[in-house]
This record gives sequence, C-alpha cells and structure tokens, in this order.
Amino acid sequence: MGHLKDLTLEMARAVVSKAEEVRVEEVEGASMIVLELSVAPDDMGRIIGKEGRVANAMRTLLRTSAAKDGKRVNLEII
Amino acid sequence: MLNQNESLDVSAKTVEEAIDQGLEQLNLTRDQVEIEVINEGKRGIFGIGSEEAVVRLTPKPQTVVSSQSHNDIQSAEAASDVLPEVPATLEKEDVVEAVDAVDVEAESSTEAIAQPPDAEAEIPLDEETEPEQDVAASAKAYLEELLDHMGIEAEVTPRIAPDLVDPGEEPPLVLDVTGKDLGILIGRRSETLQALQYMVRLMVSKDMQSWQRIVVDVESYRARRRRSLSQMAKRMAERAVSSGERVVMESMSAYDRRIIHVALRDHPDVFTKSIGRESNRKVTIIPK
Repeated sequence: MGHLKDLTLEMARAVVSKAEEVRVEEVEGASMIVLELSVAPDDMGRIIGKEGRVANAMRTLLRTSAAKDGKRVNLEII
Repeated sequence: MLNQNESLDVSAKTVEEAIDQGLEQLNLTRDQVEIEVINEGKRGIFGIGSEEAVVRLTPKPQTVVSSQSHNDIQSAEAASDVLPEVPATLEKEDVVEAVDAVDVEAESSTEAIAQPPDAEAEIPLDEETEPEQDVAASAKAYLEELLDHMGIEAEVTPRIAPDLVDPGEEPPLVLDVTGKDLGILIGRRSETLQALQYMVRLMVSKDMQSWQRIVVDVESYRARRRRSLSQMAKRMAERAVSSGERVVMESMSAYDRRIIHVALRDHPDVFTKSIGRESNRKVTIIPK
C-alpha cells in the first residue's frame, strides 16, 4: 500500500515551495489508512489552497486510489 | 442520494429566515416544499460559538420547477455516462461552506464566457511565453506519474482540442486518458476528473510560472458531457417558456455552468444566471 504515501508525496512536493520539508507518515488500519502530511510552515497556505481546493483535490485522488483496494483514507495536514 | 440533488440547503440566522430565503430562491411557496431542519442554529455569546440555522427544502413532486429538471439531468447523465457510484463522503466544512449564504448575484452570459473557468488568481495569466510542446510534454509526464501512483494503467495522449470549445475560442491543450475501466477516474459528478485536472494544472503551472489551462479528459467524457448539457439546457429553456416559470438546474462546476450559459446565449425567450455560492451555484433559466 505504499503507493498512497508516494502519491501524497508527489502531489505535495509539486505544490509547495520547500519540497525537501514535505513529510508523510502512513498509518494503516484494518480498513482505514491515515496519512499525516507535514510541510514547511510557510507552505501551509499552498498545501491547503484557496477554500481548501488543493487539499480537497488531494483527498479526492487519494480516496479514489484507496477505493480500488476497498480501503478508506484520511489525509491529515499537521 | 437522489433527493440530495434536487433539494436546496439554506442557512440564515434563524430557521424562519432560512426557509423564507430558500423559498424565494426556488420561487415556490411553503406548501410546495418539504422542509427539513438540519441545524436549528445557536445564538452563542457575543457571536462566539454561534451557529447558523440550516434548513433543507425539497420541492414536492407535483411542483414543476425542480423535480423535472432533476429527472432530466438524471436521464441525460444515465444515457451518456456510465459512472460508478462513489459513496458521498461530504465533509462537514464543505456543507457549511456550500450553504453559507444564499447569494443571488447576476452572472451575465458574456461575463461567464470571458472568464476561463478555473483561472486562479495567484498565478498570473500569461499566454504566449512558453512553447506549447513543453507544456504538453510536462503535463503528460505529470499526469502519467499521478496515474501510476494511483495504481491506474492508462495511456495519455496530448492534443489541441478545438472540439471542446465553441467556435472562435482558443482551443485548449487536452490530455486524453484511455484504457480499461476508467470510470473511477471520472467519479461521482466528475469529482475525480476535476481533481486530477486541477492537480495537473497546478503542477505544470508552477513549473511554467504561469497559469496553464490544461484539460484532462477520460474516454471522451468532456465531449459527451458538453453535448448532454447543451441538449438539456435547450429542453429546460422550452420548459421555462411553456410554464412561464424559472427553471433551477442542479449545482454544477463553473465549466459546466458556462456550457449552459453559452448554449442559451442566443435564445430569444429566456436568459440565464447563476445563483448560490461556491459548490452550490446553480444555473437558473428565466423566461423573458
């Protein structure tokens, strides 16, 4: 299931200005995968986006990808 | 889930105010709708902790306006798209934003046409600085990478697509995605396709330092959607004219609303405007 982490990393790195500070922790449960994403403080706005658009687009793609394996996913930006 | 499409959520300071606003927007009377109170609202102290009242108005079946437009949308979509039902995991904040306030503001057809549907303010529009090949190659590479990470096998082919815009408009760069079982890439109300397109635009635009209006398409979904939307727009316009009442369509993306505005731009007997906010914006067709 490493591909969700890679997907998160790819999307986050492409959006932020400090790609080297992007971190993703993946915690896999029975049916739920939690992805904890952290970015540089001044990239918070970019990763969330206007009205949450960037974060929501990332969540949609992660959800679609996880649904293929019958899993649910929760992206937390911390 | 079907009811969700045709019902209208409205928020205001009190339940009564919300109902009145909603009825005004739907152009219906109280006995023509089912009223469900979703949140009674709280006053809070000095505005802290206060919550807006939220009600859901669902037109009763015999009411001409919304139920028919809804049915038409369903049949039009059923005819042209085979979409898997992805469960609606609507987040709370989204709901609150969507129903935040009923804001009726005119969006004239010309205005809607002039604006690129997804142009973002933070990246300046800059059309002619980059050779198109670079954009196409980089967009294709990013999309392939995203699909690969999503575990989806598909072909990506870039092309310039005059068939996806109206005559006289600049044709956009389109990335056609083809392969097996790609319905999940479109998603419920094309949510996944929009997200994919948005990510690709962000990625390429950041590299190019200018906003790129790239379209991502899956199995010609965009062309089919355009066709079914303009046909539906024309049917709804006839309905508005014959009933003499406005027709409120379901909430749509800016891109889809624009297709409706353009389709009815030269219609002699109706005009169109969008009402509602953000993800809850709906085209309304009004007889002249």
